Parts: sequence; C-alpha cells; structure tokens
Amino acid sequence: MYRYDEFDAEFVRQRVAQFRDQVERRVKGELTEDEFRPLRLMNGLYLQLHAYMLRIAVPYGTLSSRQMRKLAHIARVYDRGYGHFTTRQNLQFNWPALGDIPDILAELAEVEMHAIQTSGNCIRNVTADHFAGATAEEVADPRPYAEIIRQWSSLHPEFSFLPRKFKVAVTAAERDRAAIQVHDIGLHLKRLADGGLGFAVWVGGGQGRTPLLAKKIRDNLPEADLLSYLEATLRIYNLHGRRDNKYKARIKILVHEIGADAFAAQVEEEWQRIRDGALKLPEDEIKRIDAYFAPPAFVAPPAGASAKPPTGAPDAAFERWIVRNTHAHKQRGYAIVTISLKPIGGVPGDASAAQMDAVADLAQRYSFDEVRVTHEQNLVLPHVCLGDLRAVYDGLVAIGLAEANAGLVTDIIACPGLDYCALANARSIPIAQRISERLATRQDQIGDLKIKISGCINACGHHHVGHIGILGVEKRGEEHYQLLLGGSGAEDAALAAITGPGFGPTGIVDAVEKVVDTYLKLRKDPQEAFLSAYGRLGSAPFKEALYAAAA
Amino acid sequence: MSKSAPTISVLTANRLSDGAVVFLDFDGVWVEGLRGAVVARSPDEVRALESRGAFDAARNIVVEPYLVEMLEAADGGLTPVRFRERVRLGGPSILGDVPGYVEAVPAKPQARPEPVAGQPVHAEAA
Repeated sequence: MYRYDEFDAEFVRQRVAQFRDQVERRVKGELTEDEFRPLRLMNGLYLQLHAYMLRIAVPYGTLSSRQMRKLAHIARVYDRGYGHFTTRQNLQFNWPALGDIPDILAELAEVEMHAIQTSGNCIRNVTADHFAGATAEEVADPRPYAEIIRQWSSLHPEFSFLPRKFKVAVTAAERDRAAIQVHDIGLHLKRLADGGLGFAVWVGGGQGRTPLLAKKIRDNLPEADLLSYLEATLRIYNLHGRRDNKYKARIKILVHEIGADAFAAQVEEEWQRIRDGALKLPEDEIKRIDAYFAPPAFVAPPAGASAKPPTGAPDAAFERWIVRNTHAHKQRGYAIVTISLKPIGGVPGDASAAQMDAVADLAQRYSFDEVRVTHEQNLVLPHVCLGDLRAVYDGLVAIGLAEANAGLVTDIIACPGLDYCALANARSIPIAQRISERLATRQDQIGDLKIKISGCINACGHHHVGHIGILGVEKRGEEHYQLLLGGSGAEDAALAAITGPGFGPTGIVDAVEKVVDTYLKLRKDPQEAFLSAYGRLGSAPFKEALYAAAA
Repeated sequence: MSKSAPTISVLTANRLSDGAVVFLDFDGVWVEGLRGAVVARSPDEVRALESRGAFDAARNIVVEPYLVEMLEAADGGLTPVRFRERVRLGGPSILGDVPGYVEAVPAKPQARPEPVAGQPVHAEAA
C-alpha cells in the first residue's frame, strides 16, 4: 500500500491544524456560516438533514486493517457506532459534532487518512477497480496511476475551483468494475502494441439530472503523458465549462454541447503545448509509486493441490457463499472475497464499529492486511488463500456479513436518501430493505441483477445504470418513485429508460417484483441474465406487466 | 421566504454545535421537537419569525433557519405538510435496522436567553 512520505504527512497535519482554527473561529462567531461553508466542504464536512456528516476519503478504495480499525474507533468514540460506505468508495459518518471534527481529522491523520476534496468543485477521490492488484483480468495494477493522479490533483492550484465537481475512475481490465463510462474522466489502462502501457481516455460521462455516457477522446496515451493529458483536459473544461448554471456545469455538458471531436481537438492542442513539460512522468517516479503496490508475498500452493477451496463437511450455505462471493485471483491458490454489506433487509453499505474491527482482523490475518471498498457498497478481501476461506467465512458469519448475494438482486446500491440527506426527495434505504426482503428467497433463481436506488435526481445511488433503477421524487409533498430499466455501469454501459408513470413507496416494491416475474417468465433459460433478456425483449413486455391492469 | 409563506408555519434550523434539528419555542429557545413551538398564522408573524431566524443565525446559535408549513389538528397537534419535513422532524426511519446504532446522549438544554434589545424574544411579542 501507499505510505505517506514526509511531504504528505506534513501537508495533512497542517491541514488539520488549519481546520481546527477555522472550527474554533466558527464556534466563537468569528466566521459566519457563509464564510465557513466553503471551508468545511473542502474538508468533507456537510450539514445534512439531522446532523453534520463527515465524508472520509478512501483513495481508490484501499484500506489497511489499521485504517479500518481507526474508522471503527471513530464510529465508536465520536459517532453513533457505525459508518456508511458510499458509491465513491468513501466512508461517511452521519452524526459527528462540529467541535469533534478537528480531533477526528487528527485521528485520521495518524493512519494516513483525511477528508480533503471529498466535497467541493474540485477533483474528488479517485476511484479504481476494487479487484485491482488481485484479478487476472487486468494488464497491470491501476492503483499506482490512481495514486499519481491523487498526488497531482490534491490542492492543485488551478483546479481547486472548477465549474463543478470532478470525478476520475481508473480500471485496467476489460471487465469494467469501476464504471468508467459514467465518470467525468474514465481511464482504461491497456497493453500497447509496443508492449508498454497506455490509456484509453473517456471524457464526459456522468449521471445526475442529465445522464450521459462518456466519449472516448484518446486511445494509446503513453503512461508518461498521463498527467499532462489530464491537465490539458481539465484546462479546457476549466476554461469553457459553464459557471452560470450549476446544472449545466459538469464537463459532460461541455463535451455534449461542443461535441467530443471538437473537445478532443482542443485538448490535443493544449496537450501538445505542455506534454513535454514538468508533468512528464519520469519512469523512475512511476516505478517508485508502483513499488508501494507490489504484490504481497503469495505462497504458491503445492504442486497438484486442488484449485478449489477445501469445503470440509458438506455445507450448502458455505458452498453458496463460495459460488457468489469469491472470485478468481491472479495467483493460483488464492481467491478474492466479497464481503457483502447487504444482509437481507439490512441497510446497504452500513457497518458497525464491531463489524469494522472484525473485518480488520480478518484482513490482517487472511488478506495481507488489505481491505477494499467497492462502489457497490461492499467490502473486499483481495488476497485470501483458498485454505483460509472457511475461516474467513466463519468469521463473517459471526458478524452477520456472510450473505452470499454478491451481484444478486438483494445486493442493492442505495444512496442515504431522505433518511439522512438534505438534498433527497424520497427515502432510498427502506425501499432497498423491502425489495431485499421480498426477493431474498428467490435471489439464486433470479441470478445476476443489479438494482440501484437514488433518493433524488443527483443520482448518488446510480439509478441511471441499474439493470433496474429507482429514482425517488417528491409528488405533492409525498414520496414517489420512478422505475427505470436496462441500464449498466459496466463495459456494456447503457442508460436505463423510465418505464412510465411512477409508484408510491409500496407500489414500487410490487413493481420491481412484477419486472422480476416477467423476466423469469420470459427468459430463454436460467443462463440468460436479466440485462440480456431485457436487451432481447425490449421494454414492451415489462411495461405491459406494470401498467396493463391499470389501463 | 415570506413571498410564498404558508398560513401556519414554525421556524426550524440546525443547531450550530451538532447540526441537530431544532425549532423555536415560545421562550425564544431552540429546542428539539415541536413541543412549545411558536406558530406563525399571519404575514406579520411570519415576518417576525423570519427576522428571529436571521438574527439567531447571525448570532451563531443556529444554521440555515427556514419556515416549515404545518397542518394543525383540532387538538392543536402539529404535523409537517411535506413528507421531507416529517422525516426531518422524526429522524431517520431506519435506525432500528442500522448495525451497532447507539442512541445519542441527549444534548443539554439551551439556556433561556436574556432578551436582546430591539429583537423579538418570540414571535408572539413581535
């Protein structure tokens, strides 16, 4: 894992001291809320519906067990015993008191963490494939590049006041787990024809009130040119992105309005001017950062050892968990483990302090001290020896996190919604809970199906790219839900389409069940997943099932 | 705010120290919950509440004050018109399902303030 150097440590320490002073001045009344708001937002502190909320960056979703224990400690001492893992691989605390924030940030700094640039119109926490460094599908670990981007973008003087927030995701696998096509910039690391590494650069994707898929504006960008090309792209956006209307201020609007070709041409022109300047990445520097992400000391299994985990006595629950929640590792004898934060009827993404501590223990003992946070609001143990899977499973059973549902219909993304968020129009979490309960007994039969729920048009719950998406709106003062079908945030990215009139809080659960029943009735065979069936059938039979009776 | 002011409304804000949802009561104190909340029923009373909210925000007691439209039952009980405000008043609806959730220690009640010259102690007196 990346370790802070002296510069990083001093920078974060200074920032904590600075914010401590700002909080003191706010409490004393020396700063008004209007003066304080931009300062607190730059440190990840929001004022939500019921309390302050602190959003802590988990760069590219990678945590050590020590860091996870610190998050548990903060949950216990300063918050209300739990935290919420988000769709940007971050962690949110929902109840911190203003006066405690400087101490919380000081505690985070002890374990090389912070909340800088988790809000505001700047380059946000860079996300990455949560299987990075562990999956055989990638050409290289994308996290060193995410770290290089983090260092470049932290307090970047030119890009601290962009027209709007800016999100970057990196993957190095064809199978896209980082949703690069719905990011402001999505980077796909590939092997070039000359054997070196380079990027495909996707620009202008995003969700929110104007969902758009990114356009590829560059292929085969040499890794040495990564930062100069990003700088050129951000410059064009910073120069021409709209500042008169926050709803039209994201880069996606600019790319859409002037066209991807024209945008790419402008970037190219600026890039040619700066590409051989100070931002050229020296090979030594890439290697230096790369070394932090060197693979752990895997132990090769003995020759002839089974490639499957030992299961011991027949245990259907364990077998189900192996099938759903473990994934192929690049190292023979190891597996990647998804820890579902979606117990049936539970709150998606929430974890108690005790659960965080227990996961930290499992990571330390069985996964080379590493945990990952996924944008699907789960955790991952990236490097588990097959022989340890039973112990890991038993450990997860003990803390209620052994649900074998990764990628299934109960593995639902839900934003905090109106239960916490000041922007939300409707609750997301209870809808996720009811759907989870309703479909739990049939989830294996249903197979791969991603439901994503947002409580407002800002789309933090990624409803535009849900196989089934749900958007909460306010209708005559009450909660109301629109249903969308056919989206995907993966390599086959697609935006979901609204089915028709919306539903009330109970009706939306019934509606999802009708969609699922229609799929089960019409699929060719159990191997035809929901999204494939929807692609073949179109929306008509689903609309028929949803609305025919009412018509 | 007063342009489209509701006929029955109460003044709410978030407390500066912890962000808690508070309402202005008859004594001019910001309290959690609607018990004793001042109700504005006329444009004058609405203006008085708005003025009080701006004043207490400027004094750094609360943040982002605004008026909430209420329904009043025959027995005088108040319910927010919008679902959003009902959730804001009642707290997250899912806390019973949150793993490890620990109730907060109740905040110490705010001291009853001395009247400040030139400012309303509560809307009724304005």
